[in-house]
Amino acid sequence: MRKILLGTTAVVGAALLAPSFAAAQEAPTVRIGGFFRAYYGYTQQTGRNSTAPGATGSTLPTGVAGATGNLPPDAPGGNQARLSKNDFSTDGEVHVFVNGKTANGLSYGAVIEMAFNQQEGRNIVQQRSSTGKTTASIDEWYAFVASPTWGQVRFGDEDGPVGGLMNSGVITNFGTGGVYGDRESFVTRQANDRTTTSPGSLGDATKIIYLSPQFFGFDFGASFAFNYNEGEDTGCSTNQSSGYCDSSYAFTGASGVGIAAAGPNFSARRNEYQGAARWRGSLAGVGLSVTGGYVGAGAARELTPVAGTQARVFNNLNVYQVGAQATAYGLTVGAQYEHGDSNFFWGNTFRGDRPMDQFFAGASYTAGPFTFGGNYVMQTVEGASRSAFSGPAADAGSKSGLVASTAAPGSAGFGAGLMRRLGYGIGGNYRIAPGMDIVAEYSSYTVAERGRDLNPSNPGTQDKATAKVFILGTRIAF
Amino acid sequence: MKPLLAAVAIALPLLAACGDSNQRLVNNDEYGDYRGGRARNRPQGANAGLVVFGVDKDREAREAAAAGGAAGLSVNAYLWRATLDTLSFMPLASADPFGGTIITDWYTPAGATNERFRAQAYVLGRQLRSDGVKVQLFRQTLERGQWVDSPVSASTNADMEDKVLARARELRSQSASR
Repeated sequence: MRKILLGTTAVVGAALLAPSFAAAQEAPTVRIGGFFRAYYGYTQQTGRNSTAPGATGSTLPTGVAGATGNLPPDAPGGNQARLSKNDFSTDGEVHVFVNGKTANGLSYGAVIEMAFNQQEGRNIVQQRSSTGKTTASIDEWYAFVASPTWGQVRFGDEDGPVGGLMNSGVITNFGTGGVYGDRESFVTRQANDRTTTSPGSLGDATKIIYLSPQFFGFDFGASFAFNYNEGEDTGCSTNQSSGYCDSSYAFTGASGVGIAAAGPNFSARRNEYQGAARWRGSLAGVGLSVTGGYVGAGAARELTPVAGTQARVFNNLNVYQVGAQATAYGLTVGAQYEHGDSNFFWGNTFRGDRPMDQFFAGASYTAGPFTFGGNYVMQTVEGASRSAFSGPAADAGSKSGLVASTAAPGSAGFGAGLMRRLGYGIGGNYRIAPGMDIVAEYSSYTVAERGRDLNPSNPGTQDKATAKVFILGTRIAF
Repeated sequence: MKPLLAAVAIALPLLAACGDSNQRLVNNDEYGDYRGGRARNRPQGANAGLVVFGVDKDREAREAAAAGGAAGLSVNAYLWRATLDTLSFMPLASADPFGGTIITDWYTPAGATNERFRAQAYVLGRQLRSDGVKVQLFRQTLERGQWVDSPVSASTNADMEDKVLARARELRSQSASR
């Protein structure tokens, strides 16, 4: 009876506070959800072998010292160790959902998604001083307050409206997601032969997000983040302004992280804002969704160590996006186009660099427990930048501090310019039970840039790199 | 650019608030989840997972719908049917399955012609639970040709409720064994 009384009081309260939406108060619930998946993968990737640095001109990429230290210097025709093509891969996340409703109809809650894939590569710092690949970390976490009248605010580490929440035309609902699927679990980073300019790769930087209610089929969203970073603390290792500091707007080495460094959220991106508008409706039984969006961001400046000059080496991130998809009778087709100042991985480009163009198309078909589909992505970006930062030039008065590259084709530092990135994936899944699928998928991704050595740890000029991955496995979401 | 953005940031929520009847809150599972897009695989979308703390309203609603699934009833079907059965010895004056009220007409037991009873029953919700039904009996006695209100012992109401609940349990177990 007491509950009923509370309920009726709540209804009266709601009627007074928000006349058109009566709702009963709901005590918060805490739910546990998540997913687990286990795959077999067969991978064919160019350059997935190790050759020792030496006579034939191969060099180690920076930051991987010791990776091939177990090989003697090149001998003619020998000393190659290939990676195996076969591997298993597991991944899972545990999600905690808190949901409640106040007497006046506000929904509120929080989402905490615990992931267990903190480290992509294993890094033995010292003996008995290292972390495993399955170290726990946070994927996304945020709090939200939502009202039918004014929409929803999310505050925390979460995708933005353009970066995953409101996109249309990005068809990934088959296999593991096709070209934007789990293929990267099997591909090494050599030559950046990966597909990471997907909407979600824009990042989960700590942001505040507004998502409107839907009215006349339209809804829109906007978000703002001060920088690329997630979580608490400043990230600073000392008082010095360094790239590790979440909020430093100028630091030495910024020019090297226009494209974020893998792992520690190390990026020059600052003041990221996103806005997207979406329309959904149906015409003659065909479900339609159209999204237009924009993401912009500034960038940290490069700080010269000698004179302390701050150089604006980067263009602002400045990308427009349009996408559309249509669904009828289980068939979904969609396409998305993006254009603007960005590099792959949603990196900031150097001033004077060419803008990015990216086209994505996909289709999927669902019949009963089966879903099949395919998708394709084509991207052109600035490859090796046509210029490089020079501290002395900045100190001498150059605003950007950039100096045009004069290196010869094939040599280190050669700025060939246009990088082409092409990929496609086809796959399917069979639903064994609600939430549990068997998935199979084949995907291929190629990076090409004429004249530039994409894989300096192998002899010669490797200006094209391809990775093909076949995945067979299962996943369960709960 | 910045003043424009600020203006847009303020104007859009206001604009959104004008949608009125054409407006609804966008559910959380209508937004993409790009860390692999896994939410779509969850059996119940955004309401997935196991409730470890608090009352699982969705599950209650699902179970109530499954249990009392008769279309048009906004109260628990077992309790409703059991109340009707229990009060069926009295003439029915009105029954409203949406409000969950049953009101009988005056009824005089065969052995006692100088008293009469009337009952009001309320079925209070979709859940089959012991406090889900409330019965109130009214009694009048004939004194010098006039019907006069007289008290009903509190336990009588509770006894009627117990009878309803027992009948509801019976109905529930019958349908479960089917």
